[in-house]
Amino acid sequence: MGSFVQYTVQGLAAGGFYALAALGLAVIFGVLGVVNFSHGACYMLGAVGAAVLLDTTNLGFWPALLIVPLVLFVFGVLMERLLVRWLLQLDPLYNFLLTFGLTLLLVDLVKRRYGVSGLPYELPAGLEGNVTIGGLSLSAYQIFACLFSLAVCLLVWAVLTKTRVGMIVRAATEDSERTRALGINVTRWVTPVFGFGIALAGLAGVLAAPFRAITADMGSNFVIILFAVVVIGGLGSILGAVVGGFLVGLVEAYGQAYAPSFAQVVIFVLMAVVVLVRPAGLFGRAEVA
Amino acid sequence: MRTASTTRTGTRGLVAIAAISALGLAACSGGGGGPQTGGASKLTNDKIVIGLLNDQSGVYKDLSGPNSAVAIQMAIDDYKAKHGDQAVAKTVEIVQADHQNKADVANSKAQEMYDRQNADLILDVPNSAAALAVATQAKAKKKLYINIGAGTTALTGAQCNKYTFHWAYDTAVLAKGTAGTIVGEGGKTWNIVYPDYAFGQDMNKSFSAEVKTAGGTVGQSIATPFPSDNFATFITKAGDGSPQVVGTMHAGGDLINFVKQYNQSELKGKSELAVGLMFITDIHSLGVDQFAGTQFTDAWYWNFDEQNRAWADKFTAKTQTRPSFAHAANYSAALNYLEAVQAAGTDDADTIVKSLEGKKINDFFLRNGEVRAADHNVTHDVYLAKVKTKDQVKEAWDYEEITKTVPAAQAYAAPDGSCKLS
Amino acid sequence: MSEQMTARVDVDLAEGPVLSRRSPVRWVMLVVGLAIALALPWFVYPPVAMDVAAWGLFAMSVDLLLGYTGLLSFGHAAFWGTSAYVSGLVAIHAGVPFPVAILAGTVFAMVIAVPIGYLSVRRTGIYFAMVTLAFAQMIYFVANQWRDLTGGENGLQGIPKNFFGIEAVETDSFYFYYAGLVFILVGMFIAWRVVNSPFGRVLVAIRDNPARARALGYNVEKYKIVAFVISAGLAGLAGGVFAISHGFASLQELNWTTSGKVVLITVLGGIGTLWGGPVGAAIVVQLEDWLASSGFEGTGIILGAIFVLIVLLFRHGVWGTGRQVVAWFQRRRQRRQS
Repeated sequence: MGSFVQYTVQGLAAGGFYALAALGLAVIFGVLGVVNFSHGACYMLGAVGAAVLLDTTNLGFWPALLIVPLVLFVFGVLMERLLVRWLLQLDPLYNFLLTFGLTLLLVDLVKRRYGVSGLPYELPAGLEGNVTIGGLSLSAYQIFACLFSLAVCLLVWAVLTKTRVGMIVRAATEDSERTRALGINVTRWVTPVFGFGIALAGLAGVLAAPFRAITADMGSNFVIILFAVVVIGGLGSILGAVVGGFLVGLVEAYGQAYAPSFAQVVIFVLMAVVVLVRPAGLFGRAEVA
Repeated sequence: MRTASTTRTGTRGLVAIAAISALGLAACSGGGGGPQTGGASKLTNDKIVIGLLNDQSGVYKDLSGPNSAVAIQMAIDDYKAKHGDQAVAKTVEIVQADHQNKADVANSKAQEMYDRQNADLILDVPNSAAALAVATQAKAKKKLYINIGAGTTALTGAQCNKYTFHWAYDTAVLAKGTAGTIVGEGGKTWNIVYPDYAFGQDMNKSFSAEVKTAGGTVGQSIATPFPSDNFATFITKAGDGSPQVVGTMHAGGDLINFVKQYNQSELKGKSELAVGLMFITDIHSLGVDQFAGTQFTDAWYWNFDEQNRAWADKFTAKTQTRPSFAHAANYSAALNYLEAVQAAGTDDADTIVKSLEGKKINDFFLRNGEVRAADHNVTHDVYLAKVKTKDQVKEAWDYEEITKTVPAAQAYAAPDGSCKLS
Repeated sequence: MSEQMTARVDVDLAEGPVLSRRSPVRWVMLVVGLAIALALPWFVYPPVAMDVAAWGLFAMSVDLLLGYTGLLSFGHAAFWGTSAYVSGLVAIHAGVPFPVAILAGTVFAMVIAVPIGYLSVRRTGIYFAMVTLAFAQMIYFVANQWRDLTGGENGLQGIPKNFFGIEAVETDSFYFYYAGLVFILVGMFIAWRVVNSPFGRVLVAIRDNPARARALGYNVEKYKIVAFVISAGLAGLAGGVFAISHGFASLQELNWTTSGKVVLITVLGGIGTLWGGPVGAAIVVQLEDWLASSGFEGTGIILGAIFVLIVLLFRHGVWGTGRQVVAWFQRRRQRRQS
């Protein structure tokens, strides 16, 4: 029973990264209609950014949690302004491919600049080691990562439901035509929202940095799993992305613990089942047409 | 309205586009087409071409990578300096390719090296899957292949062939060195975590067998998906039964991830971490602190004695970094190959193979070395190393403390008969 | 905005020149294309030439679905890779001439395409892409796990090129190219015939307006499944040739990055042009080969940059842009004359 709790905590911690990144992806899906393939690369940039920040300015984990997502916000804004916006009126396929090409570019740039062996990054002081709860030894950092991700997701949810910006985002996600018809300047919010989505991916990367090897390739498989997460949760559904993220994290952890030879495929079986049975996902709207 | 002239224009335009693209293709290719021409001479093409095929952009770039070409060039220079005008191989070229740690790329590149670039010998090839693919090509093309970087025992076992040699180490040697020693020191109860693919399974088998032979027990062998970057659940499992030793059979990026997460888990300090396959570059990557005290088997260490250090200094003068075993082995293999060509007077593969079989070699890399005729495994002394703590490190790359020399006879088991040389 | 996700893929097709069916241009182009295909191994290292041909057919199979049926498959590596393994296994274990092996691979790919297609076409647009990706990942996983059969990470090695004992073809990659080219040309011919047939016209109708097609009485799902299976067969044909040519089948052939690469080749060549496939393949394969040989380290940078530029500026691809240019000249002539 004890190890089950440990697996649960591990699953929720990994799920936290998925949830944060998927939240960004879902928001971008919802408002811009863009399938951002480079989301994994942005996650990687977040982790790399944290390592580079430490290396160049000696600023550790806590400042990185704030600085790196801000930098990635700017990066996302630039991406949208310079590249993505030209293809917004076309089929999502084109932006999908654009971001795919961008991923190749970014990953290779990082490889050339920082090599392949991985950048060093330590656990922040104070979160090292383990805490004993109810006789079980659990990793302090994993608990922190899980709680922090949850807190950020709740914060985003609060912004989306309680503020005007949030209302506009939700309305645009649901029906941008009608929102525009109501006189809301949706276009003005497109760029910041995109930047925000990228920033969330970067935040997930910073959280992962002390915990995973920071390599240029760390986002490649991550993004495929992210797709599974948003499909399971529901494309364009904010709640779905978060729930989906934690769910997938748990499935992955339990899979590795109890059926390791199937661990990698369970997520995709789940994804296929969801698309076939309830394509809107667990929390999305029903499909039209 | 369509007229004849518009279709003619269309025709001309499209033909132009087609012709330009054909020319463009031809221009891009840089030649190399046409059917193969055969022909053997004293030295094929009047020169020796040594092919270096390894990872030049991935996790093993620092271990071997482009710096091995520097090592090979050093061998060529030393060979020429030694024989001067009497040198049989007056022109020796190096060609390099990056196999990106992928077996299919290695397969294609090896074929290309042998065919398109007329390589007489291919060296290095880390990554066991890639190594086996190149062995297949060597057999098909009937040209020499000396593997240095990979660990799979299949190269001198079930997949052996006449033209393939295994120069530096294999998984069985690692097991004998590391497991044997640690069990001897008292670490009797083991749990092994290994990546679930050919290499990992091979290591698990070798290590489990060796632990038992030495008098220990293996509680669990835990397979992890390959590749992976999240080992938390498996590390928790590895703690079941509180073993004295947790053996990790991961390599490259997986190893770095595993050790990082292991050191963050509650197992650190409770169980000793034994690493199946580790290179000096892994220590450099993750930092001495993460690995301090870990024991592993190394095929060669640059700071072991004066002889190694002397060569290492020459290497460092050219590359600004210290050599790994792979660099030293590439030098050794290249030089010994050239000496074999010198002695035989030709680069004919079959002749060279015959001359190498059974040969005893003693250079700074191969101490008490012998090229076994039965399976083309090159036996030599290996070393048990312990990673230093930070304050023990006196200069750059001074990470290892060699605690024991494992003589060749002890490190290499007799051939098990699975190799049928043809 | 989310509705866009569920609708069909709205590909932005290039407007081509107006050519009469009996126009000599088509014949000229055919001859030129054949000439290039036959001359290729003289200019290019033969195994690379074979790669160009194989990827070209693979891209055509994707274009059949994407450009002509409006379905973006992001898991087509499943068919290319499965056929690669099956062809390899048949060649190794049954010792038959490689044409038989390739045929076996193709048939197997089509067989697995039936259930996958049946399940996938229930969804459209980006959902279809996601489902195909999911299925491809499952197949990748099975191949990885079924190590005894596929060799797992080691890959399937030592696939022989048995060809009725004709040594030239079996050992020299130059002559093998011509043997393999036959299959590729057959595949391309099939693709061309499908597109220029009543069946193909229904596909285009489905691409442009599925509701109307359904209203006209066409069983849209059935047409999509048939198109999917044909496309899978062509991808399988290409994959079989590829595996025999390399003598090797690896998990890379089933990886999602391979699915991504072929979609990019299709876009580079031109969606909805069919012949853009070989053009795109030639560019990408040659570029990769050239970059690798020149020791340049940033292959991904160049490829990624090219793709970004193509998608932004030349999204009709090379062939599509070429067609647009010719059509523009044609219109200019007509305006001058009238």
